[in-house]
Amino acid sequence: MAFIDLINVSYKYPGQQRTILHDINLSIWNRGCTAVTGSNGSGKTTLSKLLLGILTPVTGLVKLNGQPLTSMTLPQIGRRIGYVFQNPDRQIFCATVEEEISFGLQNQGLSPDQVLQKVKAILDYFELTRYAHTFPLALSAGEKRRLAIAAVLALEPDLLVLDEPTAGLDPYRKRLLGDYLEKIIASHKGVVIISHDHQFIARYATRFIRLKNGQVVEGQGA
Amino acid sequence: MDAVVVDNLCYKYQPSGRQILKNISFKAGQGEIVAVLGLSGCGKSTLGLCLGGIIPHYLGGELTGRVQVHGIEVKDHNVARLALEVGLVFQDPETQLFLPTVEDEIAFAPENLCLPPEEIGKRVYDMINMLGLSDIRQANPNQLSGGQKHLVALGAVLALEPGILVLDEVMAQMDSTSKKKIKDILVNLRLYGKTILIIEHELESLSIADRILVLEDGALIRDGQASEIVADEEFLARQKLMF
Repeated sequence: MAFIDLINVSYKYPGQQRTILHDINLSIWNRGCTAVTGSNGSGKTTLSKLLLGILTPVTGLVKLNGQPLTSMTLPQIGRRIGYVFQNPDRQIFCATVEEEISFGLQNQGLSPDQVLQKVKAILDYFELTRYAHTFPLALSAGEKRRLAIAAVLALEPDLLVLDEPTAGLDPYRKRLLGDYLEKIIASHKGVVIISHDHQFIARYATRFIRLKNGQVVEGQGA
Repeated sequence: MDAVVVDNLCYKYQPSGRQILKNISFKAGQGEIVAVLGLSGCGKSTLGLCLGGIIPHYLGGELTGRVQVHGIEVKDHNVARLALEVGLVFQDPETQLFLPTVEDEIAFAPENLCLPPEEIGKRVYDMINMLGLSDIRQANPNQLSGGQKHLVALGAVLALEPGILVLDEVMAQMDSTSKKKIKDILVNLRLYGKTILIIEHELESLSIADRILVLEDGALIRDGQASEIVADEEFLARQKLMF
């Protein structure tokens, strides 16, 4: 059984006539690195939000480990799947960079010592230690993206979904991110990357799904 | 006259007091494409905001030195006046899209200039066609993809026909077809004498640049011909600017 199954999924935004995704059938495993590509407006981000239960299909069904997402709460889904939005401003809300990373860890019930240790390690890796006490919205866009990614990676979800993770990242930070994703994949967790960055996905992805006009035109199978 | 003159520019955000720009000086001529390159947090976007007057007029902070666009001192004129000279497309297009349809978004600035309706209609038509937005002209910008939002923001800025354009990572979320389209448009605008500053990380997106400015920790460490800098792999690797 796949980790996530999309069965005959179609979606259009409320009040809009245009159908964004048409009759998608897709299985996603929590192993390896899956790249989702397609031109602007092809439905990539919408697909990712359906995987997370942020959006509910107009027709069809999304299942997580065989259980319909509609029967689960967003926090329940969030414990299994980590999501980094295309726009990091959408998910940053704490008063300092350090708090932003520790927030999810505290909610996982880790002890203060464990939280401290993990926060320190992730701040060091993503070179954010100098900003530990900075207000996150005062960071540059690239730094905010690194923070948003770091905060989600710290939670070690079974599947990580990253929407355009390299937009705003300089080449050096892209490599740091890629190396970290390799570690995650080696620890038997899965990554889904939605991206136009062909250089990045060519280096790290193991499976490619291409969307065109709201349909999967490549990579439908495993 | 140089289109852009930046002389000994220093900038500190308040209240953090973090020094973002340190003694930056450069000029950009009419019909020149200048790329700004550097690691995240080195001050590229802050420099763009200084050219458009968002700094110091909206974000405050401590700015010293000179920034002139078409001979106008940025700190002495308000953003509405500066917008006639400098079109700024932000890194996050959501901060500049606020109307219910793509068409409204593009018509907004020309309407505010009180241009005749037929001129507004022509500019909207031209932008929609040039940027390939006809399928989404009635769409709500908030429901578009990241790359499409950047195209709409660019259309809204170009509709004002400014002489100087500052584009902050507009191609980062675009597919290869859209990137090529934007590069073709920019090369075409250069022929009409527009001065264009592009802030990007991808060397591939800089292929149309005449010159490259490289920033490091707020300081301008290199200003040279784009072809020379792109070919200097040792320098780019040392600056961690190669993937």
